[in-house]
Amino acid sequence: MKFITPSEEELSYLRPDPLLWEQELDHWPEAAEEMEKAVGFRAGKAYWRSQHDHLYALELADLGRGRPSRAMIYGHWDRFEPRPPEHEITADLLEFSLWVSEIFSGLDRKIVDKLTHLPRTKELLQFPEEDVKRTPDNRFLNLPDFPYEPQYIDVENLRLAYVEHGTGDPILMLHGEPTWGYLYRRMIPPLAEKGRTIAPDLIGFGRSDKPVPENAYSYKAHVRWMRQFILALDLNQITLIGQDWGGLIGLRLLAEMPDRFQRLVAMNTAIPDGSPISDGFTNWRNFSQKQTEFNVPAMMNQATQRELTAAEANAYGAPFPSKEYQTGALVFPRLVPIRPDHPGAYENRQAIEILKTLDLPVLLPFAEGDVVLGAMEPVLRSIFKNVAPELVIKNAGHFIQDDAGEEVAGHILKWMA
Amino acid sequence: MLSPKPEWLKKHFPWQQKSLLVNGRSMAYVDEGPQDGIPVLLLSGNPTWGFLYRFMIPVLTEAGYRAIAPDWIGAGYSDKPRNDAALTLPHHIADLVSFMDQLELRNFVIVGQDWGGPQGIGAALQRLERMAAGIFMNTWFFNDYLGAFHSTPFPWTSWLSPLVGQYFHKRIKILSHGGPSVTTQRAMTDDEARAYHHIFDETDSDHVVLSWPRTIPLKDGDRGWATMQAIQDRLPELANIPILLLWGPEDEVFPIEYAHHMKKLLPHAEGPIEFDKGRHFIQDDRGADMAPVMVDFLNRKLGGDQ
Repeated sequence: MKFITPSEEELSYLRPDPLLWEQELDHWPEAAEEMEKAVGFRAGKAYWRSQHDHLYALELADLGRGRPSRAMIYGHWDRFEPRPPEHEITADLLEFSLWVSEIFSGLDRKIVDKLTHLPRTKELLQFPEEDVKRTPDNRFLNLPDFPYEPQYIDVENLRLAYVEHGTGDPILMLHGEPTWGYLYRRMIPPLAEKGRTIAPDLIGFGRSDKPVPENAYSYKAHVRWMRQFILALDLNQITLIGQDWGGLIGLRLLAEMPDRFQRLVAMNTAIPDGSPISDGFTNWRNFSQKQTEFNVPAMMNQATQRELTAAEANAYGAPFPSKEYQTGALVFPRLVPIRPDHPGAYENRQAIEILKTLDLPVLLPFAEGDVVLGAMEPVLRSIFKNVAPELVIKNAGHFIQDDAGEEVAGHILKWMA
Repeated sequence: MLSPKPEWLKKHFPWQQKSLLVNGRSMAYVDEGPQDGIPVLLLSGNPTWGFLYRFMIPVLTEAGYRAIAPDWIGAGYSDKPRNDAALTLPHHIADLVSFMDQLELRNFVIVGQDWGGPQGIGAALQRLERMAAGIFMNTWFFNDYLGAFHSTPFPWTSWLSPLVGQYFHKRIKILSHGGPSVTTQRAMTDDEARAYHHIFDETDSDHVVLSWPRTIPLKDGDRGWATMQAIQDRLPELANIPILLLWGPEDEVFPIEYAHHMKKLLPHAEGPIEFDKGRHFIQDDRGADMAPVMVDFLNRKLGGDQ
């Protein structure tokens, strides 16, 4: 595991409290000393930040010593973020215990696996069926320009849907809020001439399963689900195309397993490091988080620059028969890290350090009319070494695939050639 | 999970409380009014509980709002841990954040008095994009103004000093069996006084009454100072959120100077609208008169009685 030093601002959130220290932390001093030696004081903090995504863990883990607290071990760590689903906590605790035993006793994880009957993390990460909604298939009949037969894989007991078209090296297309693979319908036919286009639906969207509880959704979970998708299909030599959350998730995966990717196309997206993004995004975030239901067809019609046909607008609304299906879409804007203490900010800063070292070719088609993430182009440009010249798509907004799909696909083909 | 309420209480507090687990502890709360109404979180402070808002709940629900009055951990019908670590300001904030998340509150209004102010604002700052408005009375959430009540040895700092504090607060229950029943400016009935007291009848159940005041930050380095400072530093982020200040100027704990200082930090706030004949527990003394003012403010700012 690689660590980076938390920023000064992040450190300023740590508030040592002698009483907490006495009551919750001083019960296992030898192990704490060993851990400190093994990972270092800063790194111990970073480890917790990366593993548990919330301040409580960070604060209790640190307190000047870098040791985990009993409260954390017992799983009472839902301080400012919703407590994760129980099965995720169980899996985290297993990882934690193995990590401790590795440091404390020098036991290799593989040996522990062989010698014990401990469950594997994979077996523990099974989403409870009763908390999941599945959009009926008949909502997806007669979709304009989207004739592709859906395929499914299982991730953590959730059905993840995708379509694919064409052959060759994979061209992985990741959508964002509040859309689904359908968003890429104008780009799939031209790009399928060149490779195997694959457009998955994020969990909570499209034909994929939709957990109902809000705490099912986190930046971390979305990255984990999509990582499992790439591993399940064993994709290599990937050309990654990501817009909106598709980039937020995709760029993290690129940093995690750069060897599987050969090109990156990032459109109207970002990898937020905890700094503010734009007034446009703040307004959207504030608006969206006060809603209890989205009218997705109307929203999409308003957000696209060209006029959608009724059938197209309805296709965007098809995944959501009622608001119970919309949890993933409703919480998504809140999961974007725009403060240094937001979950995902630390991990994104870690990822950016890795992305800076990559020399894969990068294309950044950004729409002239994107008020939400348009300002992020220079930021992305400054991260990558091998970026194609600026590419501004006129007469297009945030949903660039819908406003100018064929045009963008044309640019991508030219750039790939 | 919730212990049953005594018969005599029902006349003044007819609502059925619910409960849910926050950070491993049971939090009791009243949830009245239309479920699709704008949620109004009514937050009380030391040593009171949801009972303090009994005059406001019916007025709010009648106007179409969803009135939610939680008992903070350590008070009312919530769990009462005997553990200082669970009763710090950051913990109280975390408890409330978890509560709001579990109820999936969107477009919520924070109403806070006494500790309900910093607890409410602290939690709202973690979910700022979901906050619709704030109403504050006789409270504070800043470090750079301190009145005489908290800074002088009598009564405050000596009440809370080691050993002496145990005697005053736990043995003779000076706050847990005092508080609103002592400061009341109207004739509080015996049953009403008992409603505030009975939750702390059990020995040592009032641990929080001693430990919470000890986290009132008086100087840099005190418990709670950093949290309070973090809240104060972020107050400018509330610039676009409607705020109303209602104040009982006869309160010796948070006199009107606190309202004036709050107004400096939140210049866009309406008020302070003053309510005389009321002291620290202003919701009890003047609640019936304050509630229509709150409803009027919310109707104006949040677009009518839905």
